[in-house]
Amino acid sequence: MGFVLLAVPVIAVVLFFLLKKKQYQHAVSVAASIILMLIAALLTREVILFKTIEYSALGGIFYIDSLSIIVLDIVVIIGFMTSIYSIGYLEEELKHEKLDKGRLRIYYILMYAFIFTMLLALTVKNIGIMWVAIEATTLASAFLVGFYNGKDAIEAAWKYVIICSVGIAIALLGIIFLQFSSIGVLESSQFLDWTALFNNAQELKGPTLRLAFIFILIGFGTKAGLAPMHTWLPDAHSQAPSPISTLMSGVLLNGAMYGIIRIVAIINHSFGNSIFVGRIMITVGVLSVVTAAVFIFTQKDYKRLLAYSSIEHMGIIAIAIGFFTPLSIFGGLLHMINHSFTKSMLFLSSGNILQKYNTKEISKIKGMFKLLPVTATVFLLGLFAIGGTPPFSVFASELVVISAIFQENNFFVGGLLILLLAIIFTGIVLTMFKIFYGNDTPTETSPGEINIPGVCTIVGLLVIITTMGLYIPNELKGLIENAVQIIIGG
Amino acid sequence: MSNYLDALSVLLLTSAFMLMGNKRIKSYIKTFRLQSILIALLTGIMGINSLYNDGNVDILVVCMVVIGIKVVYIPFLLNKTYENVEYKVEKDFFLNIPILIIGCCFIVVFTYFSLSTTTGINTGTINMQVVNSISLILIGLFFMISRKKAIGQIVGFLVIENGIFVTALFATQGMPFIVDIGILMDILVAVIIMGIMVFRIDEKFGSTDINKIKDLRG
Amino acid sequence: MIEATYLIVQIIVIILLAPLVNGIIKKVKAFTQKRKGGSLFQMYFDLFKLFKKTAVVSDVSSWIFKVTPYIVFATAIAAALIVPVTTLIKPMWFPGDIIMLVYIFALGRFFMMLAALDTGSTFGGMGASREAMISSLIEPSILVSLITVGLIAKSTTVSVIMNFMQEVHNPLIHPVYIMAFCALFIIIIAETSRTPVDDPGTHLELTMVHEAMVLEYSGRSLALMELGAAIKQLVFITLLVNIFIPHDQMIHLTGFSAVAISLLVYLIKVILAAICIAIAEVSTVKLRLFSIPNLAALAFILSFIGFLQYFVFGG
Repeated sequence: MGFVLLAVPVIAVVLFFLLKKKQYQHAVSVAASIILMLIAALLTREVILFKTIEYSALGGIFYIDSLSIIVLDIVVIIGFMTSIYSIGYLEEELKHEKLDKGRLRIYYILMYAFIFTMLLALTVKNIGIMWVAIEATTLASAFLVGFYNGKDAIEAAWKYVIICSVGIAIALLGIIFLQFSSIGVLESSQFLDWTALFNNAQELKGPTLRLAFIFILIGFGTKAGLAPMHTWLPDAHSQAPSPISTLMSGVLLNGAMYGIIRIVAIINHSFGNSIFVGRIMITVGVLSVVTAAVFIFTQKDYKRLLAYSSIEHMGIIAIAIGFFTPLSIFGGLLHMINHSFTKSMLFLSSGNILQKYNTKEISKIKGMFKLLPVTATVFLLGLFAIGGTPPFSVFASELVVISAIFQENNFFVGGLLILLLAIIFTGIVLTMFKIFYGNDTPTETSPGEINIPGVCTIVGLLVIITTMGLYIPNELKGLIENAVQIIIGG
Repeated sequence: MSNYLDALSVLLLTSAFMLMGNKRIKSYIKTFRLQSILIALLTGIMGINSLYNDGNVDILVVCMVVIGIKVVYIPFLLNKTYENVEYKVEKDFFLNIPILIIGCCFIVVFTYFSLSTTTGINTGTINMQVVNSISLILIGLFFMISRKKAIGQIVGFLVIENGIFVTALFATQGMPFIVDIGILMDILVAVIIMGIMVFRIDEKFGSTDINKIKDLRG
Repeated sequence: MIEATYLIVQIIVIILLAPLVNGIIKKVKAFTQKRKGGSLFQMYFDLFKLFKKTAVVSDVSSWIFKVTPYIVFATAIAAALIVPVTTLIKPMWFPGDIIMLVYIFALGRFFMMLAALDTGSTFGGMGASREAMISSLIEPSILVSLITVGLIAKSTTVSVIMNFMQEVHNPLIHPVYIMAFCALFIIIIAETSRTPVDDPGTHLELTMVHEAMVLEYSGRSLALMELGAAIKQLVFITLLVNIFIPHDQMIHLTGFSAVAISLLVYLIKVILAAICIAIAEVSTVKLRLFSIPNLAALAFILSFIGFLQYFVFGG
């Protein structure tokens, strides 16, 4: 079953190569994403029942536990939403001749290659192969970022490739140190095996492990958008086509964070709740939130603003993981889920806005309620949501995280975080609210939604985040608690 | 045998210095090729050694793949990219070359002092080999920062990967086989992608000077 | 008494061999350019010819101009006494060490620069200033690389170092020696005014460094200057080959035949080194004057890293 999960995107890519008509390609894309969702649902059920899934084929590489399945489910669901949205989006782009059929094919091929590498990173036990897959996600998405071939897009793509590749190379150095710290403790067939490393964590050599952690944090943190390695993120997320921005913000950042969480788990199991790891993660997280807070006020491009918001939320997750109490890790994982859905909703709506107004600048967009009523509602509610307003889900998870911080009696970080969240909310409101109201709309555009499938998806996502803000289903709660147990170590 | 490894590791460091002192883009590619040949030799020696001792051919296969990709194919790709691009020599730098070379010197000293105070690494004679390889990584990073042309940055990235590969070889007798192959494939695809992007940058911006592509800020 | 004989053998070998090295280098360069080139012994004939001619001296120059050729030749011979061609000969009156070697050459160079300025011609001034810049950049590298080797041998006397190196198996595999060797090779190229630092056959003022300084000499003075430069070159080559490729430990005979075989092997080593220098010369272009600091920095960092490797490995 697990291998079918990995095989589906590969088959999809092959089919995209073979089929030429765009209707078939749209159909294959939606079908593939639905099949992925079904398989993921089955796998989730298995994980809830059996706690982990392991196959011994190919040297026992395939491995899913509660932590992996949470991130995997997010990938698959957002992938599904994106593929439905892409149909309407790409049709509109074809109509305005921003693309041709060949580029459409390349789009789908690269998108499913990207999804494949992301799934690969989440379903392996061997940290080395996880690294290879995460590097491959950079490569698969490089041309997606530079898809539109304009000057800005190419600059964003170049920065993305170079910064992320160097960052990931530094993570590889950290992984080598990790392997080095396990010489003499593990046999060579078990090198870089996460479960083996985790179980023997106490015997790993301390200082080398610390060095490994720093390098891996810098490396995977580059990919996750933590400051000060975040400089590629605003460019890449704003220049990519909107569905791709969604995938990157909602899926890729989580994948990198997943890598960091795995390593933090090993290290905390080895040192026993070390202050060293915690302090560094909290510092990096706070730095990210501060960076986002400062830069949000000066944004003129709404997609860049959303990208900075991603940096902020990744910072919050880092802070949550840094505190390393059961409550804070629960909050962190819950925040991962909620942020992904909310940010996807926002990016998909922004795609609608871009197609309607043909500009990325905030100052040029006015009177959105008249032109795009549904999108405007969703976008407005989404901005509230991402700022942390009840009853949406981000509020719930941020509440959990902040309670966990105050439970640790760390009033400084807690108070600072609340202040920064308030500043960010103000920033978003001040910058964005002009676009909704007003009567003077650009005259050459006609009112009405363009992308009907897309509108359905964003409304669907709105429903999800509202429900999750009020009620978390028990299975999900159980799954996250299991994941917390895995990270802390039974 | 560890004598040969020591000698090769120091020659690798020398090739990094030679790279730093260069101004012509064609020389970057040639020096990278020389470095890859040294790494292939290193892998080959370790592979033959492991074949005698343990009887597994993993490292030798990796050596072959290294030769195929890093010695032959990647310099070929870089040369093709280089032909399509305007500038052949880098004319100006932020800091001039002697200062960069002395900077490399500081990097090696710094690496040595950092590593010698980390227990777990400073056991036995692994010491200088690991210092050399980690200095290679840092010098690659330094090279990448100090060059303004896009191909220079690609070569810097490749040197970083070279250094990491050699560190893995020295510190832990290589990573597991699949991981090694995966890393090499990744680098190959990365270079292909970067090559195509350099070509597009040259098309759109008219030159590959990275400092000129600064439209997106803040 | 025996030691004095050996001392005289040393001086005779060096003086006789020095012009041959120049000849070999020129011949190899000619071969690579598909020419036949001059005879191997051409420099001998040139020196003979020059010794028979009278020197022409400018009347605005002072005693420095007249004295310099003798000083240059004398310092070259003095340096030759410090670096034995075979370790079976132990120089008795000059237990000279590395620092003395460097400073003897510096003395010769200093007078050469003064004499170049002495005649008041622009070529001289230009050559002198360039030579000053190049030598000040190169000297630290010589000292660091040789002192590293001296630290391993626990002495700075050259002959003691060479004796020590006989015990070392295969020095060119150890990182320390590799680095010192590479640094010394670059230094030889710089000190003996070869491409890429200086073009030894040029007559264009754009590319002259050493040539500019000897431009004003003629007749016997010129012969002494040229011979001094050739001896300096041979001394450096001897330093390089005898320290890093020791051969005397393989000779198990004693007495006169041992010395003869040792000298023969030394001759072969020098010829090979000359061929290598010639190949290095042919494969590069002359650097711009302001690019020479790059080469000097490279030599320095190689010697420094050699020192660092010694520091870590402990020799």
